[in-house]
Amino acid sequence: MTIHIPRRTALKGLGGIAISLPLLEEMTASAAMTAAAKEVAKDVPVRAFNVFFGLGIPAPLQTEGFDGVMEPLKPLQDKLLIMRGVDHVRADESGINAHFDGASAAFTAEPPDGEAKAGGPSIDQVVRQTHYATGLPKGMVSTLNAGTFFRRSRVSRYVHSYNSDGTVAATMQERPREVFDRVFGSLALSGDDKDARRRRIKRSVLDSVVDQYRFYTGEQSPLSAASRTRVADHLERIREFEQRAFEMKDSPKGTAALPPRSKLAHGGAADPGGQGIDMPLEDLRTEWRLLADLYALAVQTDRVRFGALTFLAAGERLRIKGDYKYDGRLIYSFDDAKDLNASGDAGCSHEWWHKFNEKKKNEQLRAHAHMKLQEVAYFLGKLADKDSVEANGKTILENSMITVSTESGDGRHNDVKRELSGVFHAISGANGRFKTGQIQDVNSEGIDVYNTMLTAMGAKKPLGPKDRDFQSVDSIRV
Amino acid sequence: MESIFNFNRLLAAIVLFLLTPILASADEYRATNGLQVFYDFSDTGRSVIKDRSGAAGPIDLKIEDPNTVQYRNGRLQIIKPSIIRSEKPPTRLIDAVRVSGEISIEAWIEAKDTKQDGPARIVTLSKNSNERNFTLGQDGDKVEVRLRTNKTSTNGIPSVVAPGKSLTTKLTHVVYTRQQDGKARIYQDSKQVVEKHVAGDFSNWDKSLKLSLADEHSQGRSWLGTLHLIAIYDRALSAEEVTQNFTAGATGKPSPELIAERKRRVAAQHFETAVAPLLAKRCLECHDSAIHESGLDLSTQVAAFKGGENGKVIVPGAAAKSPLWASVESDSMPHERDPLTSAEKGALKKWIEDGAVWTLNQIDPAIYVHGSENQNWVQRLTVDEYIQTVRTTVDVDIEKEAREILPRDLRADGFSNTAYNLNVDFKHVNAYAKLAEIIVSRMDVEPFVKRFSKRRKFTDDDMGEVVEKLGKWVLRGPISDREVIAYRGITTTVASASGDFEEAMGYVIEAMLQSPRFIYRVERQQGSGESIPATDYELASRLSYIVWGSSPDEKLMEAADEGNLNVEKEVGRLLKDPRAVQQSQRFISDWLNLGRMNNLQPNARRFPQWNDQLASDMREETLAFFEEVVWKQNKSLSSLLNSPVTFASPQLAKFYGLSAADGVTEVVQFDLSDIPGRGGLLTQGSVLTVGGDDASMVTRGLLVMHELLRGVVNDPPPCVDTTPVPTKAGLTQRSIAMERIANASCGGCHSKFEPLAFGLEKFNGIGAYHEQDEHGNKLRDDGEMLFPGSAEPVKFNSTGELMNLLAKSERVSQSLTWKVTQFALGRPLVAEDAATVDKIHASATDNGGTWPALMTAIVTSDLVRNTRTHVSDE
Repeated sequence: MTIHIPRRTALKGLGGIAISLPLLEEMTASAAMTAAAKEVAKDVPVRAFNVFFGLGIPAPLQTEGFDGVMEPLKPLQDKLLIMRGVDHVRADESGINAHFDGASAAFTAEPPDGEAKAGGPSIDQVVRQTHYATGLPKGMVSTLNAGTFFRRSRVSRYVHSYNSDGTVAATMQERPREVFDRVFGSLALSGDDKDARRRRIKRSVLDSVVDQYRFYTGEQSPLSAASRTRVADHLERIREFEQRAFEMKDSPKGTAALPPRSKLAHGGAADPGGQGIDMPLEDLRTEWRLLADLYALAVQTDRVRFGALTFLAAGERLRIKGDYKYDGRLIYSFDDAKDLNASGDAGCSHEWWHKFNEKKKNEQLRAHAHMKLQEVAYFLGKLADKDSVEANGKTILENSMITVSTESGDGRHNDVKRELSGVFHAISGANGRFKTGQIQDVNSEGIDVYNTMLTAMGAKKPLGPKDRDFQSVDSIRV
Repeated sequence: MESIFNFNRLLAAIVLFLLTPILASADEYRATNGLQVFYDFSDTGRSVIKDRSGAAGPIDLKIEDPNTVQYRNGRLQIIKPSIIRSEKPPTRLIDAVRVSGEISIEAWIEAKDTKQDGPARIVTLSKNSNERNFTLGQDGDKVEVRLRTNKTSTNGIPSVVAPGKSLTTKLTHVVYTRQQDGKARIYQDSKQVVEKHVAGDFSNWDKSLKLSLADEHSQGRSWLGTLHLIAIYDRALSAEEVTQNFTAGATGKPSPELIAERKRRVAAQHFETAVAPLLAKRCLECHDSAIHESGLDLSTQVAAFKGGENGKVIVPGAAAKSPLWASVESDSMPHERDPLTSAEKGALKKWIEDGAVWTLNQIDPAIYVHGSENQNWVQRLTVDEYIQTVRTTVDVDIEKEAREILPRDLRADGFSNTAYNLNVDFKHVNAYAKLAEIIVSRMDVEPFVKRFSKRRKFTDDDMGEVVEKLGKWVLRGPISDREVIAYRGITTTVASASGDFEEAMGYVIEAMLQSPRFIYRVERQQGSGESIPATDYELASRLSYIVWGSSPDEKLMEAADEGNLNVEKEVGRLLKDPRAVQQSQRFISDWLNLGRMNNLQPNARRFPQWNDQLASDMREETLAFFEEVVWKQNKSLSSLLNSPVTFASPQLAKFYGLSAADGVTEVVQFDLSDIPGRGGLLTQGSVLTVGGDDASMVTRGLLVMHELLRGVVNDPPPCVDTTPVPTKAGLTQRSIAMERIANASCGGCHSKFEPLAFGLEKFNGIGAYHEQDEHGNKLRDDGEMLFPGSAEPVKFNSTGELMNLLAKSERVSQSLTWKVTQFALGRPLVAEDAATVDKIHASATDNGGTWPALMTAIVTSDLVRNTRTHVSDE
């Protein structure tokens, strides 16, 4: 099932989502939105977003152009520049595979700085600092980090927007209703990021408490029937508490219900010690698309100009099952555990990347990579549809600097250079700053590509060490 | 609200059980709950060994080459290396064991020799010499069991090995059990020969392995000998169940002696669980040793079979000839009470028809008040326990806030820690969340966490270790991978919000403080319905909550970690801690409901001396008196009834008529040896005020009866006017009581308890001592009392004599044991507890009847060491 979030003018939502008119009226009538609207009228705003997908496209497969796994990007090809040969080898950290350092390098070109920090800012934040040094228009969500992901042992596996000191630029929102709350709830309107952050963590605390009580009322509970009744009572009270504490408590008057509660695993349950989880393809895509719709809507309504969106974490471990179709044809029937004849982590799609072999068909890897790019294209397509046309006649995708990347150029961990070379990149035109409609073999370091992009965006401070010579990749600029 | 002790429902269940054929099959002699696989080798000549467990989807085994085996009267002799295995992986067995986290593997075997090794596979779920879920095998002259968990190798190493020379070529019963908490044991011929901790869970069990007998799946580890019986359960059998299966024999079929013994046990059980409670509840009100209406006393075997004024009432084996049955069947008995239900009638008739087996010396109605079986409610921490637990766990004093925002615990069955009544309201949830936040804000989180681990990266390994070690302390026992994952989710959320280690740990602790394993004393309660030994961690918690009212300290946890918690030794240590004194004072305060003193509002005109301070002083008097007698003088609990000492403020001393030294402003000790009337708990204002302004003899008498004598009286019959009669000139409380006792409708019960208050007649409603009441009537303190179960009343001439009688009474001493045990367990005691409580009492009495002696007897009893499990109803 696909739950589609329609454009801002069609506000009756599906699947339990309804963003009511009074809310949008309030938003557009607010001083903040008035300021934003004025700016739009004058010129299209500067925006930068990073779109990350896990596990990557092996470099050899990128050479097949849109005939191979990149087929889903074909409808958007005139609005994108596909860059091959982007190299992040300098981000290698000894003893750490590309799931971590490669993912950290995406959009920062730096190795990680510890477990929860990037080695430097991400490109979207550099652009933000360049154009909004004194802050975004009042009431706007400064940065939106969101994603559908499961593996979470290290932050840079799934967070892809970082401040200049390498800290996370915004709290990660992993459920559609969190994105809804963050963007359209009154908390966002208040601009109180600190409180929103605290609520986010408190919700996580409560989630873990609910999980514990649920266990003791379930089939594997060691308790007697009488005791389980008592714990079930407690759980019921906690749900009441949860509802009172978090659900729409502060939402503007007239706002309808939150999006449906996420059905996918989140928090600790999403990543049981790196062992992976079973994942029906349909469930994954349904939640992702809901999240992508909300993110796109946030951009379309000019509530958000910077941030990152993640479709599956670096080194994601899922045992995906289900028929994957594209353009009416069956690409592959996923059943990772069965195909790999293994359970636990060894039965996850992750393994297809480890097993990549240029001389073989790599049928499963191709299907998975194709699926990922279809989902990335789904989001990009939202920003390129008729509802995303702006004052200058171009779409948001064309007007923004949207960078799509991933963690590695080869899934095999036995050769660092091969692993961190040829990392897939695609960028949008950024309102005429970059060439589009091409596939280029840039064959450059990621740091030079990013600095070239930043230079085009007007940034003064390049990424990376001060004493490093910057090799501009002029071929990507208009 | 419906009573949770639904006597009729319980009785119906018992009768249903007893009416089923009791000797129908061998299964009834062996433990069957959780049985997944059962091979008895009664498949003579066939190449398929049938699984007779009765479970859906039998796991049959195929003998590849019949020439390698010989069937011999329900035995399978392996004469050559054989391939005997399931055609498919036994998914049902694997799934069941993975879910339960427990297993038992049972085998009756005769080894060909004691040289086979490898170990030679007797029963195995494995693939080859390196990959298995489990293997029970023979390694020379001992049994070895390899069990795979997520903490062992895929080969199930380290294994559990029986002592050398413990296995011979004789027929041997071998049982391996492994509990969820990791405790693994091997029993041979019903004796435990080894115990070891096998850590981890079965989450990594391989679902593709097949079940084999007598050799490894890949061959090369053959076992030769004779198999008599193989059984596998998805739970750990208790020691009693192992003995039960051993007694049932190698064929699984019972001997005549076993059948006779079972018949005897069933009859005794029927009497003790169905008939005795029925007689206690429905007959003894009029036909006990004290009242014996129509000369019939049904409280003892001799009296019951002797009959009444009209002759015998019970004819064993012939209900139709038994007047007892006739009167009950026709509903003429019980007199002026509801007739027996059909279930009760059925139980009584069956008992007479089956020979009227009587196994108790005397039926004591007190032990049946709360039913026969404990329902096992999980215990929520009381407010006191919560405060103490927070203090022990994270060294934060949260008393002020906890008392302000946590709802008060309500009393039920005489105590406020009664588990079934420890409900949870929205206010609790809200309060737990707020308190957790406050507690963490007062902690120095980083140094606290450093106690458990110095690792602090946000990686799986580091966070996993920190959470696991921290969780074990905060949650009072090892935490599972599932829990680690859940708490790990919080750390990732904090990390993704740019939080640091300290912040992440603060939120993890906040979550733990709200989790069920902190708020409740979570223990394993599900099982076969039998008693199972409590784990060392459960014991550590029980011990500390019973003795201290708080969570285990580090020493207790260390002992549990090492798997050698010595209860006798630890209780001695715990009793020397001031927390043991505080906990004993919680008992006396809760038992006597001293908290009500804060709310007393006697009539100001009648009692102008009363004020809040006096009420508070009375409360403090009792607590100080208790500490003096029980701890400083180390006297028996019975001494609380007559110790001639008390503690009073100047105001209370004046109220009691005691002379305090000049200038004394504090609470001081008084010797009461020469003070008429005073001396002992019952003569203290905190207790005497229970009778209200009118010093009700009914209320005071019932207090003595219920709290000290464990007497049982039913509610007044319908239509009886229970309005208190006021005293007046010429009419004292005693004379009003005597009128009730003389009344035909009331006297049967009132004669049992009102005289108990006669000795307190000289104390008015607020506990002041007088020789005459407000109307000028002269008051007395003599009388006579009847101890429950006794037919002969005992005389006393003064309050002091009554107190001495009570202090010397075995019944009172026993009742104090019951009360303290109830408080310790946090639940009313039921009939099945009675025998153990008797042992506790005997042990405590042998050691002086003191608080420490009683605590020691309680925590070393089966009531604390074991858990009565309940069969899942799902």
